[in-house]
Amino acid sequence: MSLTKTYRFSAGHRLYIKELSEEENFRIFDTCSNPNGHGHDYYVHVKVAGDIDPESGMILNLQELDETVNIVIDELDHRRLDIEVPYFEVNQPTGENIAKYMWERIKPDLGDKLIHLKLSETSNSYFEYYEEDNYPYER
Amino acid sequence: MGFKKLLTKKMEFSASHRYWNPGWSEEKNISVFGKSAGPYGHGHNYSLELTVEGEVDAETGMIINLYELKSVMKDVLRGFDHKHLNDDNPHFKDLVPTTENIARVLWDLLEEKLEDNPRCSLYRVRLYETHDLYVDYWRK
Repeated sequence: MSLTKTYRFSAGHRLYIKELSEEENFRIFDTCSNPNGHGHDYYVHVKVAGDIDPESGMILNLQELDETVNIVIDELDHRRLDIEVPYFEVNQPTGENIAKYMWERIKPDLGDKLIHLKLSETSNSYFEYYEEDNYPYER
Repeated sequence: MGFKKLLTKKMEFSASHRYWNPGWSEEKNISVFGKSAGPYGHGHNYSLELTVEGEVDAETGMIINLYELKSVMKDVLRGFDHKHLNDDNPHFKDLVPTTENIARVLWDLLEEKLEDNPRCSLYRVRLYETHDLYVDYWRK
């Protein structure tokens, strides 16, 4: 069985490769390369799995889950990612990379219980990150 | 290769509950469950999404008649809707009514009701406690 909780943060970003000209950046990243950046309301769906603890009735205490996830949410919320968050100074702040970054920040605390992370950038696009070998569910 | 055929029906119910393990001290209950341990309980608008899998009947074009599924779900939820789960629903007499446990109990009750239907079986119970929290329960 699994449990999924949704978190939200708002952040700005610009997709941009320093070594390339403005024209080349615009050709690759289109409007996402706007010089002054732009932002999104991101939704992160964190899925944990495991057996129900017979005493607490829970897979994982939600207070613990919130504490873990909110540490990384606080790092990203209301930030310009490629300027204010060191990881994205060297990695493009794309949905793919943000999902990977969040996974890597929360994985040490959640361990094997963490099985899936989904990042929605807009209502039309989302990104999923998980270990194929540790995702025994087709859901 | 065969195709998987799934059908999902959603139904909402409102219930109150209290997270409390009688085998623990008050301090431990409050430290583990926080606000959810409040003595008088609190409530949620739950949303149950039941998914069944099965074969499509050639004559009706259905895996299961939705009227039948609706009445099965309504029947089961009678013990949950507008109830205090700890006090009004015997399944939670000795079981903390967490979303995880409610989903598991719902699976058992729904499975029992659908046992006689040869064409469809339970695939997944997805239970939303709030719009930002849900549990998936399934059993092979």
